[in-house]
Amino acid sequence: MADVRKRQPKVCDYYTSEDGFSPGVAFCSGCVLELNLRFISRVLGPDIIFVGTPSCSAPVLHGQNTMAWHKHAYYACTMTGVASSATGLSRYYEKAGIDATVVCHTGDGCAQDVGFQTLSGAAERNEKMIYVCYDNEGYMNTGIQQSSATPFGASTSTTPTGRASKGKTTGSKNMPMVMAMHEIPYVATATLSHLEDYAKKLVKAKEAAKRGFVYLHVFAPCVPGWKIATDASIQVCRDAVKTNYFPLWEAEDGVFRITQKVKDVKPVEALTSTVGKFKHLKPEQVAILQGQVDQRFRMLQALCAGSAAVEAPAE
Amino acid sequence: MAETHAGPIAVTGNEAVAEAMRQINPDVVCAYPITPQTEVVQLYAQMVADGAVDTEFVTVESEHSAMSAAIGAAAGGARTMTATSSQGFALMWELLYVAASYRLPIVMTTVNRALSGPINIHCDHSDTMGGRDSGWLQIYGENHQQAYDNCLQSVRIAEHMDVRTPVMHMYDGYVISGAIGPLVILQDEKVRDFIGPFKAINPMLDVEHPVTVGPFDGLHGWYFEHKVAQNRAMDRSFKVIQDVADEFAEITGRHYGLLEPYRLDDAEIAIVVIGSTAGTTRMVVDKLRARGVKAGMVRVRVFRPFPHEAYAKALEHVKVVGVMDRADSFGAQGGPLFLEIRAALYDSDPRPQVLPFVYGLGGRDIFPDNIEQAFAVLEETARSGKRATSERRYLNLRKD
Repeated sequence: MADVRKRQPKVCDYYTSEDGFSPGVAFCSGCVLELNLRFISRVLGPDIIFVGTPSCSAPVLHGQNTMAWHKHAYYACTMTGVASSATGLSRYYEKAGIDATVVCHTGDGCAQDVGFQTLSGAAERNEKMIYVCYDNEGYMNTGIQQSSATPFGASTSTTPTGRASKGKTTGSKNMPMVMAMHEIPYVATATLSHLEDYAKKLVKAKEAAKRGFVYLHVFAPCVPGWKIATDASIQVCRDAVKTNYFPLWEAEDGVFRITQKVKDVKPVEALTSTVGKFKHLKPEQVAILQGQVDQRFRMLQALCAGSAAVEAPAE
Repeated sequence: MAETHAGPIAVTGNEAVAEAMRQINPDVVCAYPITPQTEVVQLYAQMVADGAVDTEFVTVESEHSAMSAAIGAAAGGARTMTATSSQGFALMWELLYVAASYRLPIVMTTVNRALSGPINIHCDHSDTMGGRDSGWLQIYGENHQQAYDNCLQSVRIAEHMDVRTPVMHMYDGYVISGAIGPLVILQDEKVRDFIGPFKAINPMLDVEHPVTVGPFDGLHGWYFEHKVAQNRAMDRSFKVIQDVADEFAEITGRHYGLLEPYRLDDAEIAIVVIGSTAGTTRMVVDKLRARGVKAGMVRVRVFRPFPHEAYAKALEHVKVVGVMDRADSFGAQGGPLFLEIRAALYDSDPRPQVLPFVYGLGGRDIFPDNIEQAFAVLEETARSGKRATSERRYLNLRKD
């Protein structure tokens, strides 16, 4: 407990503004998305413009009828045009000499699937913006369908388990790595159990966005979609990091670095056993998932070594 | 082409529009190349590279992104333009509605070209006819001069506070876009005075006063009223389009209306047509008139909003009207223009016959002979005094 108390103020040190969101917003109990939005807003400050889509974050970012639920400028975009519309905004801000940061905030389905082309295009053009993808591993808002972020074996409403099916048959797209291969100024992964790590990355992101495109991939479990307890979402984030299922890393101008090195890596079962969408998995399926997790981590380590990064001390 | 010319110069349609864009010097241009619009984007890129304009020029990765970026820039408060054609226009389709709904005064040049499939790169009007219900104003030009003139006028129309709606202006692919024709260019200062400054309404640029653009309006929101407001802006735009045209005539001597009648006053038969084919039709009308046939023509300039009252007034005395569509509406009673003209004349008494003709799909040539054939059908119908069948008549269709 003493440890926890010591860390809390450290996160607050990164806050640059009051909470930009009103209390009582309409998220599910235990949803990490609310924390994510408030956190981004408090660390990045008031001079940001959000661009988002119809999604879980929409009710809060959009407001309700004519009432706003936050104090930021916001463009409610189509899922297919986020990074492009943000390009139009950011280019004109720059031309008009306005010092403001455009922050795209979308789910994985938008970033990795239907909006991927515009994201990739904006990254290639090195547009000055921060793109935050909150990854809840599927289309949670529309009823828990699979996306290209849904992991191997997961049960969703379009990859349901049944007599002839054991969930999704392919792994997820390694999206943060895909974005790192765009060779943009800054790419990082983050999650809500490691807020200090996340805050540091947001600060770097805001600096890097003055030079070009920034991509942040945030692991964000969904309470009803993943069938976890309402008080378990942060623990699931932590488990994802501790199992190397979701390693925390950054690539700064092409230099890869693991920012939270895990000393005693737990088997991926420590995560899958607590998450309902994996509960049907047989040991041989867990082994396949474990193999994918290990392979990805080895590649990350190779990139870290190959790009001459200095790794952070063990947690 | 930076210097101005007193007399006409020889340019392609695309060069004419690129020149208009240079003179407009918009804040942001977002574009993706597609034949036959490509030249507009290339020429503009060179103008940016040469410092002839200070536009923020964004070369996006698709037309979908071109329109998305244009919407972002316009929502930010920028005077924004783009250009497209055919498949690119089709790819933008989702965003056309968004741009119109948010009342962003974007101006888009669209070079008319067929839609796949089979793959076809030639001229017809299928692309923009597919966007006729998207909420954009649509203005069709006939030739190089009109491509230039409509581009300039579109900015004024789109930004007028009674309208505040995006405008697309069109000209025929290849026939105008790539072929060389005469163009009289206005002096830069005259264009600047005519266009005037742009003032955005509630721009997102103003970070001191944050606004939300485009949110979900709730389960019991104002979507319906919002759509009605768009339609009211369409109604108001008739006057604005005419006022802008009249003002334009004062500085250029070139007069434009919502539609352009030709030898129509005493006509007994008439053809209604869009785009470059109007030039050929006018020639055929003259030929028929020389033979004593009371033939006339109307060229469509403004298709959205559709000035149905003006058409009723212009055509109500005509016995038989032939409508030439360069796009089809599969399974409908006729092409899009036919449906509009027929509906416009429904309340006329006596009611002229209106016959549908389809021509030029996928760039199929339209010869004076073909137009004469159409007039012959109208003439025969008028002479017989009977009602002719309203089945489509295809011009220059190959026999099986």
